[in-house]
Amino acid sequence: MKFASVNGIERPVRLSEKTRLFAYESLGHKYGLDTKKTMFVTMDGTPGFDQLTNIEKYDAAIMKIAAEAPLRVCDGELISGAATLGAAISHVIPAYYKDAPVFMSLSHLTVDFETVVKEGVNSIRKKAEDSYKKYKGTDREAFAKSCLNCLDAFTLWHKRYITALKEKGYDKNVKNLLKVPFSPAETFYEAVQSIWFTFAFLRLCGNWPGIGRIDKILGPYLKKDLKDGSLTTEEAREILAHFFIKGCEWICGGNYGSGDAQHYQNIVLAGVDEDGDEVENEVTHLVLDIIEELGISDFPTTVRLNRNSGEKLIKRVAEVMRLGGGVLAVYNEDLIIESLTDYGYKLKEARNFANDGCWEVQIPGKTNFSYIPYDFLQLLQKNTLKNYEMTPDFSDFESLYQAYLKDVRGLVEGLLSSVLKNNMAEQKDGQWIWKPNIPCTVISLFEQDCVGRGKSYLEGGTVYSVISPHIGGLADTVNSLYAIKKLVFDDKKVGFAELMKILSDNWEENEVLRQYAKNKYTYYGNDSDEADMLCRRFLSDFADICKSIDNRSGYMFPGGVSTFGRQLEWSPHRLACADGHRKGEVLAANASPTPGSDREGATAIIKSYCKNDLKKLPVGAALDIRLLPSCTAGDEGLEALEALLKGFVLLGGFFMQPDVVDAGILKEAQEKPEEYQNLSVRVSGWNARFVTLNKEWQDMVIEQNECGCGY
Amino acid sequence: MSAAADIKLRVAEIQRFCMHDGPGIRTTVFLKGCPLRCFWCHNPEMRRQEKELLYFKNRCIGCRLCETCGNGVHSFDESGHRLDREKCKSCGECEKNCPASALRICGEDMTPSEILKEIKKDAAFYGISGGVTVSGGEPFMQSGVTELLKLCKEQGINTAVETCGYYDVTAALPYVDLFLWDIKDTDDERHKKNTGVSNRRIIENLLKADRAGAKLRLRCILVNGVNTDDEHYKNVFEIASALKGCVGVDVLPYHAYGGSKAELIGAADRQNKALIPTDEQKESFKKALKRFI
Repeated sequence: MKFASVNGIERPVRLSEKTRLFAYESLGHKYGLDTKKTMFVTMDGTPGFDQLTNIEKYDAAIMKIAAEAPLRVCDGELISGAATLGAAISHVIPAYYKDAPVFMSLSHLTVDFETVVKEGVNSIRKKAEDSYKKYKGTDREAFAKSCLNCLDAFTLWHKRYITALKEKGYDKNVKNLLKVPFSPAETFYEAVQSIWFTFAFLRLCGNWPGIGRIDKILGPYLKKDLKDGSLTTEEAREILAHFFIKGCEWICGGNYGSGDAQHYQNIVLAGVDEDGDEVENEVTHLVLDIIEELGISDFPTTVRLNRNSGEKLIKRVAEVMRLGGGVLAVYNEDLIIESLTDYGYKLKEARNFANDGCWEVQIPGKTNFSYIPYDFLQLLQKNTLKNYEMTPDFSDFESLYQAYLKDVRGLVEGLLSSVLKNNMAEQKDGQWIWKPNIPCTVISLFEQDCVGRGKSYLEGGTVYSVISPHIGGLADTVNSLYAIKKLVFDDKKVGFAELMKILSDNWEENEVLRQYAKNKYTYYGNDSDEADMLCRRFLSDFADICKSIDNRSGYMFPGGVSTFGRQLEWSPHRLACADGHRKGEVLAANASPTPGSDREGATAIIKSYCKNDLKKLPVGAALDIRLLPSCTAGDEGLEALEALLKGFVLLGGFFMQPDVVDAGILKEAQEKPEEYQNLSVRVSGWNARFVTLNKEWQDMVIEQNECGCGY
Repeated sequence: MSAAADIKLRVAEIQRFCMHDGPGIRTTVFLKGCPLRCFWCHNPEMRRQEKELLYFKNRCIGCRLCETCGNGVHSFDESGHRLDREKCKSCGECEKNCPASALRICGEDMTPSEILKEIKKDAAFYGISGGVTVSGGEPFMQSGVTELLKLCKEQGINTAVETCGYYDVTAALPYVDLFLWDIKDTDDERHKKNTGVSNRRIIENLLKADRAGAKLRLRCILVNGVNTDDEHYKNVFEIASALKGCVGVDVLPYHAYGGSKAELIGAADRQNKALIPTDEQKESFKKALKRFI
């Protein structure tokens, strides 16, 4: 029973043998395969299903799921509840009618677990009952009724579990569930069960919510229990470990393209609370202990650091980080909180930020979030430079840059208005109203204001609605612009039209100039001001464009930077770049440098990244850093990793995901997958078990490690 | 203008984000020139104090733009790119013309404040333990190094120096937080044979620095069949024990990577894998030095 690390450092053993075995089996697909035995419930036998309204169909489906989904009680489990319908793993509501799913489900949000734990689901029921009375006879009645129906379904599923657990003699689990999640939790154990049971129900119904600030929610309960002696730290660690292990119940093994471990069950640790006090507590450290010991990567975890973060926390983060797998990432919350308040959020909300599926910052339990990724390199190549054919002859760099910005504005406006129009309609009086959308009551129950407003998550119920346009291919775009500036306008190595012809010919017969472009200029990611400042300027202009978009609809459009691995699907459509890249090469990830163009190591990459005015991007810009295990070996290596984290905060970074991994080990895992079943790598905002990536993805991860590492 | 402003140091390379040249994250400044000629040298391009042309064969695309060299260093025939290094004046013309960065002049003359500017780029990552390490070559072969170290200290940057110990370091002592001091061999005959100089002077300088209060880490290269005997281990232990300021001893097992670097300067690859110490030898050394490892 071995939990793999990328560098041979032995993972510590703190948990009981029984819990470790539970983890080992869960990571080895035992429960995932079980989940796939029953894919969905069927609505085929429901009389008159065709005649029901959409929301009635939804309610019927949820009720059927609650009534019929298989119940799973794992041997010796300390907390109960399981999302046992396989179709949910494919992001649909697992209720089918005539062989097709009836509704899609939701993700990219962190629901309000804090209210569930502290006030209980009954407090939500009370609100739903009030709403139903209030909105009876209005167009909001159907949603209000749906809230009550879905709560009934949740109650039914809860009762089924209690009965099953009683039969099997799981007295402790029964005792907890008799209280939570419907009544407020009073102990740590109850609080963990409360979050898990609610989370499991949301997932059972096909949704993929994030967990959010688990240490902030659970910390006060554990503190009280430890103080009055009703629980030991060891017992608490076991209980919490079961939460993490049960979160692996959708691991099925096999090959999944982008991996089998991305269900967006994000966790955010530490940082300040609404009042500005540091959250870091016993739970923070227990989570780190568990990740360190079991190497579970299914909960992408980000630690909020600030200038006052304790040495103990930073050291623990570095220790867990260097085991590899990219399970831990960090935020610099000093910058993020300022960014959010600058954008218009209230300070208390800003201080409570968590994230969506990967790392995009949002206010948990209050935000309807979506993002739109787009390859900005293709925009430059295809729109501004017209596929290098019939390109207007730009006489100076500035006119090229302005033409590109104009295209950026056109793109962003177009993307946003089409998404906006899917969701809202402008009235004659200039008011925007929400259009009917697919039902999503189960999520809406746990998002603030939906129940009270009588509106769903997708129909204006949430406190905030956010659509974030994301720049993809940032470094590639900046490097291309920079190379054109240098080759044509500054150094006059080649005429503009001539360069366009060369690029159109994919650098054929022009190896000398290609080598020159590749080697003689210093690009983004080397702490060289010329290229870095062009990047800063471009990001800043992009943020301004996003901010200037008409938002009378009430929607917010904060910009971000991401690729999330899309560079792989974009690459075949990309033309040659002026920085020496040929057609179709897989290029930069997120806000990281283009592979192979970074020659100065990790510190220079972080510096280049931090020169950007990241405060203007309140959703975020992610930096991936790859480090070789030898860089982080021994006490010196640990110290160095800590210093990198501190430098990142000091210089004003936003989000950084360092991964410690050795290309050699990855290649070996490619050849002998059976020996590396639970070896995880950071892909791009999430983690994947390496062996479950397909070959193309695996090769990309290996290539990034060979180039993008700092040593 | 003070005299210090005229000082220039010949820099072979400045490398950021170094983790193995002292505590924390460090920027390592490699200075050119060394009085020793260790046959296992892993930075052969930094031995001579003169500027030198480095040729990265695998990068050359055969474009022949280097043939414009006024001294006739570069030519091409059926076997490829030929270099007549005797003729090279290290003028840097070919480096400028080479589009593939296959040619580079090793050795740039920089003032201490120019070097400081490079060092300060990573100041945010130094924290309390990281900083600059001056290495080489042999740093003290260039007297201006003291000025550089002084300047770093004035800026609050932690300083380390990696030295072969051949020179008297007294003048630099106030500006060095840690010496990484090489003890290549304790047998003088072997030392002479393998490095070209006696070790007496090195040991004397070491003791002198120690008496003056230097903080020291001994760095001991281990070369299979050369200095892998118990007598040597015992001697190193005795030296370390005699020092007041010794904070530890590092074992540096010989590796054969210096070979490919020798090719850069047109020298023969004399590296030999048989010289790599066995795990057993490394363990014996560490065991003998247990108190300091």
